[in-house]
Amino acid sequence: MKYVFVFCALALVAAGTLTKLTEPDARSPVPVVYWATDPNPARIEQIRLFHEWLVKNGYTTPEGKPAIELRLDTVNFDSSKLIVQGVSGVAADIWDRGVPDLENYSLLADITEDARRLGFDTSHTYPALADLLSVDGKQYGFPCNVYVVNFWGNADTFAKYKMKPPPRSWDIETFERIGKEFVGKANPPGKRRTVFFTSAANATLLRVLARSEGLDQFNETLTKCTLDDERFARSLAMGYKWTYEDHILPSAADESSFATQAGYGGTHLSLFQQGNYGMIAIGRYMLIRLRDFASPPRLFLSHLPYVEFENTFVGTRAAGIYAGSSRKKESAWFLAFLASKEYNDNIVADADSLPPDPAATTTEAFRHPPEHPNEWGTHEAAARAAQTIAIVESRSPFIEPSSVGRIVNVRIQEVMTGRATPAQAAKDTAERINEEIQRTLAESPSLRARYEELAALQEKIDQYRREGKKVPLDWIKNPFYRRYYVHKGWAQEN
Amino acid sequence: MSWSRAKKRSLALGLAFLAPNILGFLSFTLFPLVFSLILAFTNWDLRLHNIFRQETLRFAGFENFSRLLTERDFWKYLGNTAFLMMGIPFGIAGSLITAILLSRDLRGGSRRIWVYLVAVVLLVLGTGALLLAGAGATGMTILIAGLVGLILMGGTLGGSTVYRTLFYLPHFTAGVATFILWKKLYNPHTGPINNALRPLLQSFGSVIQATPPGVLRGIAWACLVGMAMLVLTALRRLSRAWRDGEAGRLSVVLGGALLLAPAALATRWAPWSEGGLALAGAAGAMTVLALAAAIVRKREFRCRHDEGLGFALMFCGVLMIAQFALLGLSRVAAALPAMAANPDGMTPPEWITSYYWAKPAIMIMGFWGAIGSNNMLLYLAGLSNVPQDLYEAASIDGASPMQRFWNVTWPQLAPVTFFIVVMSVIGGLQGGFEMARTMTQGGPAGATTTLSYFVYTQGFETGRLGYASGIAWTLFLLVFLVTLFNWKFGNKYVND
Repeated sequence: MKYVFVFCALALVAAGTLTKLTEPDARSPVPVVYWATDPNPARIEQIRLFHEWLVKNGYTTPEGKPAIELRLDTVNFDSSKLIVQGVSGVAADIWDRGVPDLENYSLLADITEDARRLGFDTSHTYPALADLLSVDGKQYGFPCNVYVVNFWGNADTFAKYKMKPPPRSWDIETFERIGKEFVGKANPPGKRRTVFFTSAANATLLRVLARSEGLDQFNETLTKCTLDDERFARSLAMGYKWTYEDHILPSAADESSFATQAGYGGTHLSLFQQGNYGMIAIGRYMLIRLRDFASPPRLFLSHLPYVEFENTFVGTRAAGIYAGSSRKKESAWFLAFLASKEYNDNIVADADSLPPDPAATTTEAFRHPPEHPNEWGTHEAAARAAQTIAIVESRSPFIEPSSVGRIVNVRIQEVMTGRATPAQAAKDTAERINEEIQRTLAESPSLRARYEELAALQEKIDQYRREGKKVPLDWIKNPFYRRYYVHKGWAQEN
Repeated sequence: MSWSRAKKRSLALGLAFLAPNILGFLSFTLFPLVFSLILAFTNWDLRLHNIFRQETLRFAGFENFSRLLTERDFWKYLGNTAFLMMGIPFGIAGSLITAILLSRDLRGGSRRIWVYLVAVVLLVLGTGALLLAGAGATGMTILIAGLVGLILMGGTLGGSTVYRTLFYLPHFTAGVATFILWKKLYNPHTGPINNALRPLLQSFGSVIQATPPGVLRGIAWACLVGMAMLVLTALRRLSRAWRDGEAGRLSVVLGGALLLAPAALATRWAPWSEGGLALAGAAGAMTVLALAAAIVRKREFRCRHDEGLGFALMFCGVLMIAQFALLGLSRVAAALPAMAANPDGMTPPEWITSYYWAKPAIMIMGFWGAIGSNNMLLYLAGLSNVPQDLYEAASIDGASPMQRFWNVTWPQLAPVTFFIVVMSVIGGLQGGFEMARTMTQGGPAGATTTLSYFVYTQGFETGRLGYASGIAWTLFLLVFLVTLFNWKFGNKYVND
């Protein structure tokens, strides 16, 4: 038996040595930098371009080869995995998840100085994204791409029902009228509805509707959730009406009944391509998969409907550098590459949302890709929306964004399943988010001082508003209200 | 004591052999366990306490536990967990029935093979009829019919081994794969379950419309009366147990509380017009009066307060579940006319996308998994150990098959049943995570979020590891107490 034991022990040592010798780092002659990202086929080409860019910009070995090797880590892209790995000190060097979310855990390296030195500070991208790249004046990330939520429509589907594509910009009444006409023509009476105007009423659409009435989820200083408001209740009620009364949006049961499989971009894209959805609310990255279909449809782009203040969400897949990375300097080269012409041209060509540099959206290659005439007219509209109506989602430093998302989604589901009235759900949403904020403050005394300072500022803002005075713009921390106050003429710009 | 060199060498060798296992256990089981217990008493939050941010870690005492008890979601998720656990008795019964069927010789004998062949021919003809009736699109139905035919044929040739393997299949199939399969089966519009139910419900809807409303109301009331009868039966049994000194005061009171629970909850689910509140009031008053009468009545035999607690809770718990089933039936019967009057006719449930059907849908799936699980194997093993002499003696005494089951098989299987109940209850309290994560994300509106899923969301979505550990240890405490209870009060009946 002891020989078996010794044999097993030796076998384990041998296997361990072999594993160590065959580790990716050991097989590369240059330092390896890992990039935790989504499993998008476009990443392969982006890595190739990066290696070329390294050589072109002099980041090379004495033999003229790229000084580092960038490798993908698509398995560990999930947020909870990244956080657990990050706090344990074993994560990939570059992450492209939400910067403010990860900075809550202090997991990202401050890249302000590198960004200034290597030319990828926030002035090289959309101004609307500043809140998603920096925290307290320090830059933590740079966009890999920029997405703006719009309705991307299938003009062929509309033509099939002898309808013209909807207008670029529309109010709620127009949206509802066209939607009813569309589903009325598309679904034979007495049969199960299989064609819908657009995808389901999700939190994005409902919050955009509330914002279009001047209500954001947080107040001006991000210290309190303000969704206990008839404007949010109205958008919840509208979502319910469109789903269960007008049937212009699919219910959860309708959505789950489509026999499609998810792929890159989700199931909605297949349904959109085959005409089950007239439009889908999504970013430009949907074109990556749409172009793979044998006959991609003719496209048009419409903004999300609004009541009074047209707006939409803008977001970014921003790359940041892991604070525990041993290759921070080399990782910063990658972020510099993201601001380069080579990378922006690549994003323009493969349609992975909008390129980080707005200047890249003014080219003919972006506006009229010769191989995709069916998309003409949509690209510049998406880019224009990013610079005009798009505002980032507000994030309070006193609550985890994932908690906000979960609370809002559950309350929307309660309305959709008839468990709560819109007013109850709106009240409950605000109560729960505010409870969570208070809990965070109780748990993190270091946040308390900042909170109290902001709460005092909020009182001053409220007082100014009551007195009809203009509010200094730098008092307002919520990106939505910064724009909304300017729009309403309530802001005193510096 | 002096150790000889050979003995020391032998000890070292033995320890060396054990070391990998012991080290593995210490590193990957004991250490995390103890560490999580410590975490449960701290304010450890990944946002504040990690290798990049070291805010002061505070000893929180029982703060995490007290917060948990005041958290409204905790009670909802505990309720969800308990609701899903109500499927356990059905699962156990299913696995027992399956085991009894599979313990017989199912190989095709001269006569039996003809029965199977006739069944297969009927199946083929039925499938043909479906096709002729224009059901060609429902390929899944035909596929299922074909599979049933194949299974019958396989069973004819291979006997119970084929069936045992097939029934055990769910257990060794990866959980996520089966959950995805069930998600497809539950598809509201295109799933085979609803495809099969739809025509049935359409016909049923016509029958309901033609039925006088009084009949349906009568059925609804009959179910409620059935509930009351169950309560009465249980009270009589409890009362007898009290009188004979088989049940103490605590056992009677707790058993009564269980019996009362459905009627009390009926007040929440049924409006005045449907008599829910009246029924609840009547049942409640009946229970309270009966309990009071039982407690003050002179007893023939005295016993401890907790005497017969296991029996009382088990007996009343099963009847409570039966009452819930009757209550559900009553509600359905009362709602049938409105459902049938729907312009679209009677429609099948939306299963996992409906708040009200999501939990029953998961229970049905759990039942399917339970009947072919390890429980079935345990019962099969238990059945093979029942002495045949007992059956022979029972037969000689003229016992019917049912009497043989109740008086021979069931008592002989008591130790196995006890073990299965204990393990199922533990599994039930800890379960639900994979299903919620894969099928529903805990929704709709939190309907399928169980305690284990709650631990995950708190630990990995909000980063509150201290709090998540607190929930996990509360769950452990719950499991421990229930198991302790099972051992203390259930084991006695097994040994009796």
